[in-house]
Amino acid sequence: MKNIASILAVIVLVTSCSNDDNYESTPFDNPEIDFNIPANFPLLNSSFYSNKPTTFGVELGEKLFTEKRFSINNTVSCSSCHVQTSAFADHNTLAVGVEGRIGFRNTPPIQNLAFMNFYNWDGSKLQLENQSLVPIITHEEMDSSILEVIGKIENDPDYEDLFEKAFGDEDVTADRIYNSIAQYEYTLISANSKYDRIQRNEGETYSAHEAEGALIFENKCASCHSTALFTDQSFRNIGFPINPNTEEAGRARVTGDIDDYLSFRVPTLRNIEHTAPYGSFGQFPTLRAVLDYLDNGVVDSDNLDPILKNNNNRIPLTEEEKSNLIAFMTTLSDVEFLGIND
Amino acid sequence: MKNLKKYILSAAVLVAFASCSSEDDNAVANNVTLEFNNTFGNTPIVLGDATSSSATVNTSEAGQVHHFSEVKYVVSNIRLIKADGTEIPYNTNDLDNGATVINQANPETLSYVLNDIPVGDYTEIKFGLGVRSDLNTLDQVSFPEFYAKAGSNETEMHWEWGTGYRFTKIEGFYDTDNKELSFHSGSTLTDDADGNFVQGADAYRNITLSLPTTATVGNNAPTIAIKADFDYLLSGDSHTVTIVSTADITNNATPSAHTSTEMMKYVDNIGGEANTTSSGMFSIISVEN
Repeated sequence: MKNIASILAVIVLVTSCSNDDNYESTPFDNPEIDFNIPANFPLLNSSFYSNKPTTFGVELGEKLFTEKRFSINNTVSCSSCHVQTSAFADHNTLAVGVEGRIGFRNTPPIQNLAFMNFYNWDGSKLQLENQSLVPIITHEEMDSSILEVIGKIENDPDYEDLFEKAFGDEDVTADRIYNSIAQYEYTLISANSKYDRIQRNEGETYSAHEAEGALIFENKCASCHSTALFTDQSFRNIGFPINPNTEEAGRARVTGDIDDYLSFRVPTLRNIEHTAPYGSFGQFPTLRAVLDYLDNGVVDSDNLDPILKNNNNRIPLTEEEKSNLIAFMTTLSDVEFLGIND
Repeated sequence: MKNLKKYILSAAVLVAFASCSSEDDNAVANNVTLEFNNTFGNTPIVLGDATSSSATVNTSEAGQVHHFSEVKYVVSNIRLIKADGTEIPYNTNDLDNGATVINQANPETLSYVLNDIPVGDYTEIKFGLGVRSDLNTLDQVSFPEFYAKAGSNETEMHWEWGTGYRFTKIEGFYDTDNKELSFHSGSTLTDDADGNFVQGADAYRNITLSLPTTATVGNNAPTIAIKADFDYLLSGDSHTVTIVSTADITNNATPSAHTSTEMMKYVDNIGGEANTTSSGMFSIISVEN
């Protein structure tokens, strides 16, 4: 009893001490989250290690991700376009921002980004922490500014609480916003599709069509849509219909290299069943339309990918092969990640 | 009452100090004014819309007539060099106080005053066309004033997708049928987790100009008149540019607002090639002490 009393006394003493201490050394309990890296996934983007997801960093990032006050008129949040049931993409051909303004490209999905080395269709960003400012300031997206955003949320008690829990004090800073959103995005990992469970020998098996599709995929698709991410993260011009918007140059917009003209990052195929339409500006309403196009022949150009160039500018596919390929691609859907009942 | 006396006393002291420094023959610093003159050759540029009769029309080396409706560019990283080689940087790490947008449509922007330049004889000026890559991050928190100035509807010098500034924005018309031309430059450099720039084009250009007359900062506040000769845009030392309207990007230069494939030709023409001593389109007209 005496012991307990003295321990209590010490605790009270310490507590009152630190209360007087103007936060300076206030310890805060915000553990790094358990980050389970799927066994066959590639290395993490090295930025991850300087911004490891924490319990409250992720919680804050998720709240910010759905924050409509990011936009000039408080109508658009990240999640307005990045919808979970569409693998954090949406079904518009081109992204739609404030006041219905139409953006430049198709909204990309947000999944497994912790393992990506390039972000956006043209790889214009190499670190997630540097990405979130772009939609905040872009006229066709949120049309705001980071100081405007900070001004709107910094006195909100919910945010004061979360910033303190995540970072040790309630200061709402630009870097904390960028970092916590990135932390949340790092946790969006899709690795529990039927395909994954089959890879892990968890007892499931492909249907006959899916198995056929898997073989065709291996022969005709996997050289680009490779690794467990289903992209080799290279930039290729595969002769898709050309965006009439003259601002579009694909990867060349970033590099200035004419050999990159209208090249785009090979997109992942995970959850592809749920991310229609397809292509950098939503050229194709269905997967079938994409496969028909590749089968019929693509737009020729000097820098057309050699795989197509050496194959008469096409990937020949029979109707049956297309059906089987699509059957295989549906095994890449992760209903748990999408938050839907299949 | 005692307080009032104190106030009066300190006010008197202040006045004394102030009058001291203004009457002092041994000034320690004074202003230098940079005056930007945007021209085609020796003719000042008058802006105009497609059918304007007053706009200054220029003819390129390739024979294309053209005139502009908009001419804007960023000047930053200004340094004045003394005769003995000492370099005086002017708020070179502070865009709010050391960078400006020159906008031909707004005469106030054509003069940029450098405050409190130390007394001395200056024989050279260096400045950047655009924003140095380490500062080119659209950092509104660090530089709210420059961010606002560059992003205003009048200037539109934010390059959102690259999270950097537009370095140059030129709009205008070319050929006798006045087709639109649009030239925007900016850097697309992107850094990795270690802060290294691993991809993209650097459109920032360092300009070095010798002063034909020494600028003597002291009791005088010199004005340095700088010419920016936009004839160089299409007819520069690096490239002779023919503007074409087709989408064929291999056909010399199609002016495009957002593509860096052709951008660097224009950048080299007006800013000189990177890592050379070329001063691009810039030269000194005069120094008035």
